Amino acid sequence: MATSLGANRYNRQNWEEADFPILCQTCLGDNPYIRMTKEKFGKECKICDRPFTVFRWCPGARMRFKKTEVCQTCSKLKNICQTCLLDLEYGLPVQTRDYALGIKDDMAKSDVNKEYFHQNAEAEIANTDGTVAVGSVGKAQAPSDLLLRLARTAPYYKRNRPHICSFWVKGECKRGEECPYRHEKPTDPEDPLSDQNIKDRYYGINDPVSNKLLNRAQEAAEQEAVAPPEDKTITTLYIGGLGDVVEEEDLRNHFYQFGEIRSIHMATKQNCAFVQYTRRSEAELAAQKSAGRLILKGKRLVVRWGKSQGTTKKDTSTKNLRGIHQYYDPVPGLPGALPLPSEVGSGSSQGYKRGNMMEPPPPGTIQAPGMQGMPPRMMGMPPPMLMMPPPNYGGGPSHMPMPRMPVHYPSQDPQRMGANMK
Amino acid sequence: MPRVRRSRKPPPDGWELIEPTLDELDQKMRETETESHDGMRKVESLWPIFKLHHQKSRYIYDLFFRRKAISRELYDYCLKENIADKNLIAKWKKQGYENLCCLRCIQARDTNFGTNCICRVPKSKLEAGKVVECVHCGCRGCSG
Repeated sequence: MATSLGANRYNRQNWEEADFPILCQTCLGDNPYIRMTKEKFGKECKICDRPFTVFRWCPGARMRFKKTEVCQTCSKLKNICQTCLLDLEYGLPVQTRDYALGIKDDMAKSDVNKEYFHQNAEAEIANTDGTVAVGSVGKAQAPSDLLLRLARTAPYYKRNRPHICSFWVKGECKRGEECPYRHEKPTDPEDPLSDQNIKDRYYGINDPVSNKLLNRAQEAAEQEAVAPPEDKTITTLYIGGLGDVVEEEDLRNHFYQFGEIRSIHMATKQNCAFVQYTRRSEAELAAQKSAGRLILKGKRLVVRWGKSQGTTKKDTSTKNLRGIHQYYDPVPGLPGALPLPSEVGSGSSQGYKRGNMMEPPPPGTIQAPGMQGMPPRMMGMPPPMLMMPPPNYGGGPSHMPMPRMPVHYPSQDPQRMGANMK
Repeated sequence: MPRVRRSRKPPPDGWELIEPTLDELDQKMRETETESHDGMRKVESLWPIFKLHHQKSRYIYDLFFRRKAISRELYDYCLKENIADKNLIAKWKKQGYENLCCLRCIQARDTNFGTNCICRVPKSKLEAGKVVECVHCGCRGCSG
């Protein structure tokens, strides 16, 4: 128990002194000029009940004066702002951030346990330098995509507004114009967001704001996943957010379980890939199972439906979403191709035939006859019929490492799973 | 109860002319001292006191400096008897402080940042339409 400032400080909780508060941008306000008062041991920390240095300032015109509510030790333990108790990097509640980063922080919460914990924590913090977050937050550093999506980008100054004038709510506000409190309707008392508790918010337990945020994020993820595929002939899935680590192999290894992959087309320049199935049902199954949930090699992948070739979706993303049907050269020396049943109307001019399938010659020898004047590297690359003349397209698909042999059927594709790569 | 005289000498001439008004002001002051504080904020209950104090001092100041209706002797007598506030009147003689509401509002030591009260800000410098009642004396602006 921190009885007085001069009390026995050996192995006991000390009163806290600080020079500068730990605050987030929103709490500080929009004005770059701030006058702040500093009061040593002005109030008790709301969490650890120790007297600490209270800083008080005005975050802008028509804002209420804000002050630090928890001490610096408590704020460093969770890497949060001293006033609003939200994370310093993301501006998210403790519960959300811990959930997204997978941190399970077990702090002592009551009585002597709590005092003991905080007194030790303070000693520990004093030993580190101030740059890295202390405790579990500093250790868990896999920046989660979920976090980045949920995080606020711009400051939210509505938090700094004055509280609602309770006299006005009763109709009794005599101050009228000069009343500094808000003359607005108060929020609904049944709204679960209205009973928040500072201890719950700090420890990340039972926080209604967090719950709401996470639910919303989950719904959004599910929404985009199970969006019913539009055109019934589309069997292509757009996979985005690859980065440089996710390879075609990885995609193949994941997507084979839903059905036979007709082709995988990588567009590493746009960080995306197109996985095409032979059957529509397989594609739908894959979309349902992977969308919003797919993480390969640590990267959270965006799984959406691709568009059939020839049309582009007006998307918010800058990537060209185009479905690409893989074209195969007709087997040389055979009569003309029949149109593929599923591609009626989509303008495919080539197709597969039942014919003799040639033994794929070993890589290294090039089958010259019948080559349609396309350079070997471009073989098997679909000449997409895009409406938009993409300036970057020329370089786009040409970096698929194709061996120099003619591919007439998907099963000849050496990149395909199970292909004999000798 | 009539006002208690601090000096042994009788008041100078002209006293009878101002005495009724001063008595009235004294009476009002006693009333505000005893009135209930219901419905008023903690600071708000002191505002009438400051207002009356200002009013009394203002009366004497006006009589002597503006209307020149009393003699210097009587004026000095009033100051000696603490009927008017000597320090407040001293401020009124300065340029810019002619309508100063009370001495608390210019006391920089009382504020967090060593400034004057909000009521000392001229209306032109204050954002338009903002109503301020200063917390010390309830003044709504004594310089602009």
